[in-house]
Amino acid sequence: MSAATASESFDVIVVGAGPAGSTAALLCARAGLQVLLLERGEYPGAKNVSGAAFYGSAILNELIPNWWEQAPVERYICRRDIAFMSPTTSVALDFHCAGEGYTTPPYNGFIVLRPRFDRWLAAQAEAAGAFLLTSTVVDDVLRENGRVVGVRVRREQGDIRGKVVIACDGVNSFLAKKVGLQREFHAHELSLGVKEVLGLDPTIIEDRFRLSGDEGIAYEYLGAITEDVHGGAFLYTNRDSLSLGVIGQVSSLVERRKRPYELLERFKAHPAVAPLVRGAKLREYSAHLIPESGWSMKPTLYTDGMLVAGDAAGFCLAAGLYLEGMNYAMQSGLAAAETAIEACRRDRFSARALSGYRKHLKRRNVSTDFRAYRHAPAFVNSARLQNLYPEVVASGMEQLFRVDGKAKRKILPLARQMMRQYQLKPGDMLRDGYQVVRAYLW
Amino acid sequence: MHIAVCLKHVPDPSTVEVDPLTGAIDDGRVLYMLNPADESALELALRLRPADGKVTAISIGPADADALLREALAAGVDSVVRVWDASLGPIKPAITSVLLAAALRATGLPDLVLCGGYSADRGSGTVPALLAEHLGWPAITDVTRFEIVSGRALVQRRLARGARAESEVLLPAVLGLDLDRLRLRQASLPKLMRAKHAPVPLCGLEALDLSPQDLHFPAMTLHEVMPPRPRARMMFAPDATAPVQERVAQILSAGIAGKSGQKVEGGTPEQQADAIIDFLRQRGFLEERAGP
Amino acid sequence: MVMTTHEEKMRTVRFRVAATPHIVVDSEVCRDSGCSLRACVYVCPANLFVPLDDGGILFNYEQCFECGTCYIACNQEGAIRWSYPDGGYGVTFRES
Ligand SMILES: Cc1cc2nc3c(=O)[nH]c(=O)nc-3n(C[C@H](O)[C@H](O)[C@H](O)COP(=O)(O)OP(=O)(O)OC[C@H]3O[C@@H](n4cnc5c(N)ncnc54)[C@H](O)[C@@H]3O)c2cc1C
Ligand code: SF4
Ligand code: SF4
Repeated sequence: MSAATASESFDVIVVGAGPAGSTAALLCARAGLQVLLLERGEYPGAKNVSGAAFYGSAILNELIPNWWEQAPVERYICRRDIAFMSPTTSVALDFHCAGEGYTTPPYNGFIVLRPRFDRWLAAQAEAAGAFLLTSTVVDDVLRENGRVVGVRVRREQGDIRGKVVIACDGVNSFLAKKVGLQREFHAHELSLGVKEVLGLDPTIIEDRFRLSGDEGIAYEYLGAITEDVHGGAFLYTNRDSLSLGVIGQVSSLVERRKRPYELLERFKAHPAVAPLVRGAKLREYSAHLIPESGWSMKPTLYTDGMLVAGDAAGFCLAAGLYLEGMNYAMQSGLAAAETAIEACRRDRFSARALSGYRKHLKRRNVSTDFRAYRHAPAFVNSARLQNLYPEVVASGMEQLFRVDGKAKRKILPLARQMMRQYQLKPGDMLRDGYQVVRAYLW
Repeated sequence: MHIAVCLKHVPDPSTVEVDPLTGAIDDGRVLYMLNPADESALELALRLRPADGKVTAISIGPADADALLREALAAGVDSVVRVWDASLGPIKPAITSVLLAAALRATGLPDLVLCGGYSADRGSGTVPALLAEHLGWPAITDVTRFEIVSGRALVQRRLARGARAESEVLLPAVLGLDLDRLRLRQASLPKLMRAKHAPVPLCGLEALDLSPQDLHFPAMTLHEVMPPRPRARMMFAPDATAPVQERVAQILSAGIAGKSGQKVEGGTPEQQADAIIDFLRQRGFLEERAGP
Repeated sequence: MVMTTHEEKMRTVRFRVAATPHIVVDSEVCRDSGCSLRACVYVCPANLFVPLDDGGILFNYEQCFECGTCYIACNQEGAIRWSYPDGGYGVTFRES
């Protein structure tokens, strides 16, 4: 593969070197196209924040066989723990799998740190022949006769032409908005994630979380952890640190007047979390938005000369049980690349010529997954589902297990009492039950 | 006019975390940047360059330094050179200046060398002067302002306590700059793209006509860097046997009243002087001198 | 040091401060609109918005994460002018 050369114009210009952009650039470059990959950070990943539990191992393995052997990964995920919290109690679902593909290649998921991972991934795109420019902000697209024909970067003589522009510029996607593919977002459609990386000795991590070697665990928390703010929390084990964070819907942070970093402190102090983080030392604090509303935020995905992928297109599944964006970013990045490659081959770049993007998104299971989970965001936005029920479950269990010499109660009467205590109406519960089922079961 | 600028990669101080117990630095978390004083020097060189002039950027260091020199190329310097040799390890200012002098000779002596006065990491501030010594040129350090007028540099220098000095020097010369921070211009897109894969010429010891012996001189060796540790301070404690009121009074006066003094009274002036000397000697302020 | 103050958190983040601000808050809009929500004050993860007695806002762009939350949360047209800092400037995460 030839080294990338600086030229006046490119076949494909990819904006943003996150997982969506770097995979798109990699695939296009491998197909022999002239690719320009533009990133505003000092290095790829400098602006990016995730948990990060990366569930796209199999996808990446198709592109770079045994990628985990060379990439900066922290630990592979062999256990997932979903905890329902009340202020003092937690009930957890512990999923431990030593099955095929979980603890063996290609592994189901890896915990990664984005600044390192993104940098590596962009280097792979470069090695495939893409021309990467960092420290370069794209301010606008170039248009001719209503068609997108390139981008304008914030530098002198900053206009550069490309046959196809792929916008992978993340959740705030100014590019998609400039072109009119995306509208302005509302505060209830986005969540703010605040995160800390806490340094901790690897042997302590392995003892404390009962892990051996490269095994890792991903905890997800629902319920009282974010108090009355819609959201959740996570804790992942890195090699020699923990990644933990709290996620809160922006509108409900505003309504409840909660400061995100204070929620984070309270999360760490929760009796179920405190022993896990004891003795760890803060290494970095960070924050980033998450597009929560998935399908309903989906922009028009393409126009003449331009495609949108990743978070910029709202392809982030953030709904209760799931927080998966990196894998969908890659899948949609690949679908966009495949579309661009076809377009270049046929030398046609109109919206019609790019409409194959839908087909590719479907083939890569992006649109199918997001259609299937289109009701899940309602789950996040429901106070009862997101905050109340987990808390009811947790405090119900607390009473169930309490031994205080009083008469033991069976589950049903206890449930009735809990319903009274939390003012739950059977009708609401039925409706919510239906929502859960609709969101996750079929 | 040909201006050479010396550039150095330094750790961004805000990313350097020193373990307060061991003094160890967490290498994995350090980010490097162009030394701010060098950045100012480079920007100034570009501003001073006349239409027919030339700016060369030079840096000593392993391959990472290429990024820095490409940044300089993108910003508009005419040529760059990196100096490094597999035999070199961490190097001290004394050696830096030998290498810089040799590299300047090898690549064509400029009319003016600009150095950032102090680097953010070591900050010894000795390179400009040592470099001038090796070139046999005059050096002016702590330069806060200067202009070039017909082959001379008219220079304003910073002296101690805010004093300023104006001097002038015949070029060629080395200037160590102590300017207000100037930011390097944002490169234009075409220049940035051209610089991205531009070759960076490398000068090894052989190309500089140096042998490892030339770099072997008795210089100070740095053994260890220790984080500053606050000095233990004596706390005043009141006399435990004193009555309560007195102890409170002692505490309130922070022990000032408790300082014991001694009045020297009576006797001849000589005797009084002797008494004072004895007093100081007892408390270790004066050394015992052996004989007259 | 598990529990940390907000100042301690911010000290772990690396910023390369640009010469010009990428976010400008028009304090007059805050004041004149009589914004009582003050969303920006609560949501900003870097705690960069300081409410003033006269209804205005004191804002400093230097330690901004460029997350966009303030811009999404504020519903007064024209109060916040938001863009990204110049390439290579602003926040640089090392581990997140
Ligand atoms: C706290 C938190 C936790 C998360 N946890 C997980 C998790 O555990 N697992 C998971 O799969 N997902 C997780 N996500 C979601 C995931 O981070 C995103 O879905 C994913 O990063 C999207 O990738 P992307 O490439 O589309 O966008 P991004 O990763 O946001 O990349 C966009 C890139 O474009 C660049 N850019 C933006 N604008 C411009 C411009 N104008 N010019 C030039 N460059 C530009 C940015 O600097 C950035 O590098 C989490 C998100 C958050 C905030
Ligand atoms: S910036 Fe917006 S939310 Fe903040 S005080 Fe001003 S108007 Fe209100
Ligand atoms: S972009 Fe984010 S960090 Fe910056 S001021 Fe707005 S809310 Fe605060």
